[in-house]
Amino acid sequence: MRPDSLLRTTTFRLALSYLGIFTVSAMALLALVSWSTTMFIEWQVQETVEAEATGLSEIYHDRDLGGLSEIISQRMRQDVDGRTTYLLMGLDGRILAGNLKAWPAEVNDLLGWVRFRVLPLGGIGAGAEVLAHAYELADGYRLLVGRSLADAKRVKSAINRALGWGLALTILLGVVGGYFTSRHMLQRVEEMSRTARRIFGGDMSQRMHLSGTDDEFDSLAESFNEMMDELERLLEGIRTVSDNIAHDLRTPLNRLRSRIDLVLLGAPDCDGYRRTLEETLAEADNLLATFSAILTISHAESAARLERFETIDPARLAGDVVELYEPLAEEKGIRLHCLAQTGLSLKADRHLLFQALANLVDNAVKYTPAAGEVSVSVGAASGRLNVAVSDSGPGIPEDSRLKVLDRFVRLDSTRSTPGNGLGLSLVQAVARLHNARLCLDDNHPGLVVRLEFPVA
Amino acid sequence: MRILVIEDDSEAAAYMAKGLREAGHVVEHAATGTDGLFMATSERWDSMIIDRMLPGLDGLAIIQALRAAGNTTPVLVLSALGKVDDRVRGLKAGGDDYLVKPYAFAELLARIEALSRRVSAAQPETRLKVEDLEMDLLARTVSRGGRDIDLQPREFRLLEYLMRYAGQVVTRTMLLENVWEYHFDPQTNLIDVHISRLRQKVDKDFDLPLIHTVRGAGYTLRAAR
Repeated sequence: MRPDSLLRTTTFRLALSYLGIFTVSAMALLALVSWSTTMFIEWQVQETVEAEATGLSEIYHDRDLGGLSEIISQRMRQDVDGRTTYLLMGLDGRILAGNLKAWPAEVNDLLGWVRFRVLPLGGIGAGAEVLAHAYELADGYRLLVGRSLADAKRVKSAINRALGWGLALTILLGVVGGYFTSRHMLQRVEEMSRTARRIFGGDMSQRMHLSGTDDEFDSLAESFNEMMDELERLLEGIRTVSDNIAHDLRTPLNRLRSRIDLVLLGAPDCDGYRRTLEETLAEADNLLATFSAILTISHAESAARLERFETIDPARLAGDVVELYEPLAEEKGIRLHCLAQTGLSLKADRHLLFQALANLVDNAVKYTPAAGEVSVSVGAASGRLNVAVSDSGPGIPEDSRLKVLDRFVRLDSTRSTPGNGLGLSLVQAVARLHNARLCLDDNHPGLVVRLEFPVA
Repeated sequence: MRILVIEDDSEAAAYMAKGLREAGHVVEHAATGTDGLFMATSERWDSMIIDRMLPGLDGLAIIQALRAAGNTTPVLVLSALGKVDDRVRGLKAGGDDYLVKPYAFAELLARIEALSRRVSAAQPETRLKVEDLEMDLLARTVSRGGRDIDLQPREFRLLEYLMRYAGQVVTRTMLLENVWEYHFDPQTNLIDVHISRLRQKVDKDFDLPLIHTVRGAGYTLRAAR
């Protein structure tokens, strides 16, 4: 995998920007921690200084100046590390006691908190920062008590160092983690795009690989695979249709052509011409009917008709179909009746559904022998609306029932009857458009074709 | 009838014009949408046949322009677009009828003649009469030569349609669309069976047959000549 392609991935860029946001907030947090630690330590120092000063002023009150100087000297001896600074100054500016050579310049004549830097007593080194408080004792003496901030500085820098390392580690882990996460994602995306390219290259059987983790990629791959299944089915349908058109339409076209050819070869004969023309016209009409059936099927399949759905009364529709076919059935000596449950409603394309039902009744009447029976029923059962056409004809053998739904398929036993083999294909396309299930069953004897509509 | 044909396919237009002239009509032809609209507005026509897809100006736009200008000349829309949606769009634009290509000439002729009839029969009729056959549209009764004929509701509507267009050819598709009100292709000779049933009731016991089959076209109801 090329590193530059990795840098361009969304995941990596996402990881980087998250890292950026995280770093900024971590830094803000660290700054807060460091500042509050410093504040705490200085507060502690102040407390200590104040307690010390209070103690000393009590001593001055009890034992006067001499006692105070003595105590200061004693405290200075005890303070081996030189953490505490004392200075007692007389009215004339003379130093009476303490470990500073002079009253610090920063203090001036002011009383209160002050910071200054002192050289250590040995005079070597940078000296430590001291936080001190100046007091005025009674009788005009001045007392300065301070404490070195060296410890506070050390603690502060230790904390800062730890925090800095933590930050560096965070950034490092973020970059490395981002790199690996995005590489993982990129691998799956690249795999998908490879599959897509293979499909694009013509291998329609390729499918996305599922990792089995049920993640977003799997769900994307699944949707993609479903789409490919549907696409393959449609393409297969188109391929079959074009094959069948080539085959089934070429035959009548050829017949048409040879008929004209033959009559032109013979002697001029006005009546013969007329007869041939009439036959040719009938043949052309058949061809057009077949074409229009194919078009109706593809319109039904395109699903663009959904906008034309309206609420219809299935009982009325069934009644209309039965009424339309009743004379034809009677002529053949077939009893045709309608058993429709009233008060039902269905969202449907009225014209297409009528055509589908008419095709079913047409088939039933066509294949049922005289004295037979054909019935159309409409009813609701277990949340579905069923429309069924049953007959007492020869039926369809079980192994052919799926086959007859394909376009142009005609069973050998029916080749002699008129028809184009598109009737049931149209019914199936209409069923699919309405989300209905189409089932063919044995009617003992005969065939029952059932359309099961989901009830909204 | 003076008929204006607006159609860009010159061969189809010539075929149409020849047939219409043979049927006794006067035909003028425009090959583009703009010429067509000009001719449609500058002269008076009894009916027009307008193709949907035209160079210059779309057929539906012509009809909309005519209707907007208050021109009510009946228009038959011709189109290769045969979906129900296209049909609805054509009729919504102001067309009076819609015929899908390819069509049988008899179908075109029957429809264009029915269109002019529709205009002349604008006021509602309550009784229809052809020879001795009478229909009362209010009482919904039919009698012939003073004898009542009992008809099923659909048979009544079938006969009503034939009587409204008496003397004219009506095609099977016209009957399906107007009597059954479904757009679909019957695979068998359904309409013929319905007509022969109607004949049994209307013509059988009478000397003069009124319902005639017109070969290759459809049916007509008239006294035989």
